[in-house]
Amino acid sequence: MAQNPAQRRYMRRMVVLSAAYIAAVMLASWLIPDDAAATPLTVAIALVPALATSGFIWAMARYVAELKDEYVRMLEIRKMLVATGLTLALASGWGILELFTTVPRVQLFYVFPVWCLGLAVGSLVNKVTIGDGGPCL
Amino acid sequence: MKNRLKVLRAERDWSQGDLAERLEVSRQSVNAIETGKYDPSLPLAFRIADLFGLPIEDIFLKD
Repeated sequence: MAQNPAQRRYMRRMVVLSAAYIAAVMLASWLIPDDAAATPLTVAIALVPALATSGFIWAMARYVAELKDEYVRMLEIRKMLVATGLTLALASGWGILELFTTVPRVQLFYVFPVWCLGLAVGSLVNKVTIGDGGPCL
Repeated sequence: MKNRLKVLRAERDWSQGDLAERLEVSRQSVNAIETGKYDPSLPLAFRIADLFGLPIEDIFLKD
């Protein structure tokens, strides 16, 4: 399916933000030594990549807001709801396991990638329930 | 919700793509509305009605 203007803008924003994220992670890795203390400076440097990940979320919000096709917007929102539900369920479940057992601790950093994987599950749910997985971004 | 979109489109010899272009939506949307998988919003239903020159109730029917 041909991309609509909102999808093209989204892809452009994500490419720029991904490049910024990679650069910020490399910079933080280079500037902050392993096991560095959490000083205002190290925290500030370490938070730069988080600006890019916040940018990813902003780009997704803009994409949904700019989609003029209401049916495609519904498919995308359903995907995001599935991803959110799945992530909350997994995070809560694992958190409780950590509380009561000696399972390995999972870093919070992984919440966002898990949510992104949840989008793929959401697409599958759309395919099974509506017969249409929606656009692949 | 049932609708007469497929019949109205066929009467005008329009493909789903033609109708989608006229409504400024994706062909996916037209297909989903036609097959009853998706009920359009009121603004889109009015656009469809305006395009065919018919009242909404002549296009979308109660189940």
